[in-house]
Amino acid sequence: MKILIADDSRVMRQIVLRTLRQAGHDGHEIVEAENGLDAFEKIAAHHPDLVLSDWNMPEMNGIDLLDRLRASGSTVPFGFVTSEGSPEMRQRAEASGALFLIAKPFTPEAFDEALRATGLV
Amino acid sequence: MNALHTVTTPEAEDVLAMAGEVWATFLGEEPLLPAGPAEQAPGWSAAVTVTGAWPGMVVIELSTAAAHAVATRMLGTPQADEADTTDAVGELVNIVGGNVKSLMPEPSVLSLPVVTTGRIAVPTGQVEVVRLDLEWLGEPVALRVHAHDDSTEGGIR
Repeated sequence: MKILIADDSRVMRQIVLRTLRQAGHDGHEIVEAENGLDAFEKIAAHHPDLVLSDWNMPEMNGIDLLDRLRASGSTVPFGFVTSEGSPEMRQRAEASGALFLIAKPFTPEAFDEALRATGLV
Repeated sequence: MNALHTVTTPEAEDVLAMAGEVWATFLGEEPLLPAGPAEQAPGWSAAVTVTGAWPGMVVIELSTAAAHAVATRMLGTPQADEADTTDAVGELVNIVGGNVKSLMPEPSVLSLPVVTTGRIAVPTGQVEVVRLDLEWLGEPVALRVHAHDDSTEGGIR
């Protein structure tokens, strides 16, 4: 499976990668993006099977990325990995078509549960 | 009664519990411990601001050694340069700030983090509502929450 990780923090992209491995989801092809705009272009170029995106990013934030993807006809499975896990943010994510929202700080178990619930792994 | 003027600040114990969870998840087993105020100015500071229903600011101050340890532990590498430290400390305040925001009234918007060496300037109109002086790996770490003081409109919200 090809997974695109969008986060403006290289440190957080590393943590997400490490947590995926700890959750038993290693061996996937990974594409990294530094912000929503970079992610939008890389999704078009690389056709990932799943997008894991931060919410709060420069250039284009995660929710605008998701809205732009859906407006462009993309149905790529999309989940948030964000420091903002309030009910309102979860509701907004779901309304835009996100499959899940993993709140930071997260555990490998939270990743495993979210990924399994997508039916992709 | 005017609901807009209700005093709304996060509880220090909630902020401490949340910070402890963030540290335990990303920075290893050594706990954040209560400590006295740092004797020296911080080596690094990072802040995020919240605008909207609860306007405020979350600041983390660390010694240089603590900031470096944040970077190496988050990256999982023995070395970290200044760019790594800026990234890691910024992400740390983003996580803590996002969680503080989640404790407070919505809707609000979280800013991107600002990271600097030394102390960060707090804008006029922000008053400190939570201050946690802590110690991690024997190094000082301070966590501060500021709320916008709209006293001209009736008090801290």
